[in-house]
Amino acid sequence: MIAISDVGKSFATRRGPVAALDGISVDVHTGEFLSLLGPSGCGKSTLLRLVIGLLEPDRGEIRVGGRAPSALRRAKQFALVPQTPALLPWRTVRQNALLLTQVNRAGSGGPATDAIGLLEEVGLGEFLDAYPHELSGGMQQRVALVRAFALGAPLLVMDEPFAALDEITRSQMRYLLLRLWEHHQATVLFVTHSIAEAVMLSDRVVVMTGRPGRVAHIEEIALPRPRHAAQEESPEFFALATALRHALHAEVM
Amino acid sequence: MSEEPAPSARSALVSSPLFAGVIGLTVFVALWESIVRVFDVKRYVLLPPSTIVGELLERPGFYWEQTWVTALEALLGYLLALAVALAWGALMARVRFIEHATGPVAVLVQVTPIIAYAPSVVLWLGAGMRPIVLLTSLICLVPLLFNVVAGLRAADPAALEVLASVNASTWEQFHRVRLPSSLPFLVAATRTCVGLALIGAVLAEQFALVDRGLGQLIRRAFALSAFEQVWAAILATAVLGGVLVGLLDIAERRLLHWHASQRA
Repeated sequence: MIAISDVGKSFATRRGPVAALDGISVDVHTGEFLSLLGPSGCGKSTLLRLVIGLLEPDRGEIRVGGRAPSALRRAKQFALVPQTPALLPWRTVRQNALLLTQVNRAGSGGPATDAIGLLEEVGLGEFLDAYPHELSGGMQQRVALVRAFALGAPLLVMDEPFAALDEITRSQMRYLLLRLWEHHQATVLFVTHSIAEAVMLSDRVVVMTGRPGRVAHIEEIALPRPRHAAQEESPEFFALATALRHALHAEVM
Repeated sequence: MSEEPAPSARSALVSSPLFAGVIGLTVFVALWESIVRVFDVKRYVLLPPSTIVGELLERPGFYWEQTWVTALEALLGYLLALAVALAWGALMARVRFIEHATGPVAVLVQVTPIIAYAPSVVLWLGAGMRPIVLLTSLICLVPLLFNVVAGLRAADPAALEVLASVNASTWEQFHRVRLPSSLPFLVAATRTCVGLALIGAVLAEQFALVDRGLGQLIRRAFALSAFEQVWAAILATAVLGGVLVGLLDIAERRLLHWHASQRA
């Protein structure tokens, strides 16, 4: 679905160019949940922006379904969930959830989705006319998830969407995301710096190392689906988390 | 609690801002009235409030007409400035070169007192309302302009990126995110503009050879030593300003109910 081949990207800074990514090659399969795991500054958010065509690579090539990322972006085929909820404070929950369906109407997007039904599904049915400042951080991020899913796009790109939440809320949000994803099939590219999150959610985890970002290791997560909290205490979960930790540390040192 | 409802009701009254404001104004007016009477201040120095209000009430239609004309000039000047500031500011916020090239011009406009070039503007545009509106807009323009630029840039970059991820156009990003983000800045600048627009209108009237409006009335009445009219016009200007601030408060609560500034 997403073919990333030998991609490199540098940024100009005051002290000269800094390489953010170097020789990245990853394939994301259709319907797959793939996580990019790495320390901050390893270029995983940059890679995500390259995939959705908000940045252009210096070297290499990215094709999504055989097409250029910018063409898919024009057709509203990507749904982005950023690190902060990024809700518009003057819009109600309902209006925020519908925002992306109201811009770039020329873009076909996916099949029409019932945004209100999605809001009810994530437990916000009572808050349709509330404003973001009346919600907790976790509720705001749920609106941001619905805003993305409401687009009905086949590709979901998420940039550490739960990083700003407390540990308890974050754990609930992971299972909520899995539930939504299992109902509304999409290919997911998920950026995280949490090993547990990567194992819990993913089909495969790409371990990245920093400055410049490279692919250090790719781990299959063969845990059965649907995933549930008890799996977090299983030996298989522990073994996968350990393998990822070693892959990360081998490169950090 | 239910035994003594009176004290809590009384303290609620005393702590209400409206009540405190009425008390403050009453004391101010009473002090003014008594000082003028006790020290027998000459009428060309200062008149007591009772005389000023009496003058207003003697010819309410006349003063209403002057006030309405000045209010219209101030409002039109503000709206012209707002339109120019939005267009100019949108360009400045988007194109660094335009910001750096036109910023110094804006600062020059701001630091030059309108009274210095008011007679010239009347020469260019002729007598009447047009130079008054232009001068009023010039005094409001720059505070609005810099707040438009700051406000458009205050938009949440993550929200803009979310819109960019579905290829929303520059116009969609502008009117769906940037413009609403700039509203708190625009309201704050408009608050400054209430006073500035009244200064502009009252001052410009004195150069524009017009026969209606509070500014020209103050000038003519002063020349005729009609101090009752001078002070009635000053009071009308003050009340006009107060009403405009009150209307802005109402507009602010409606426009910015979502903003942190509106929560205690």
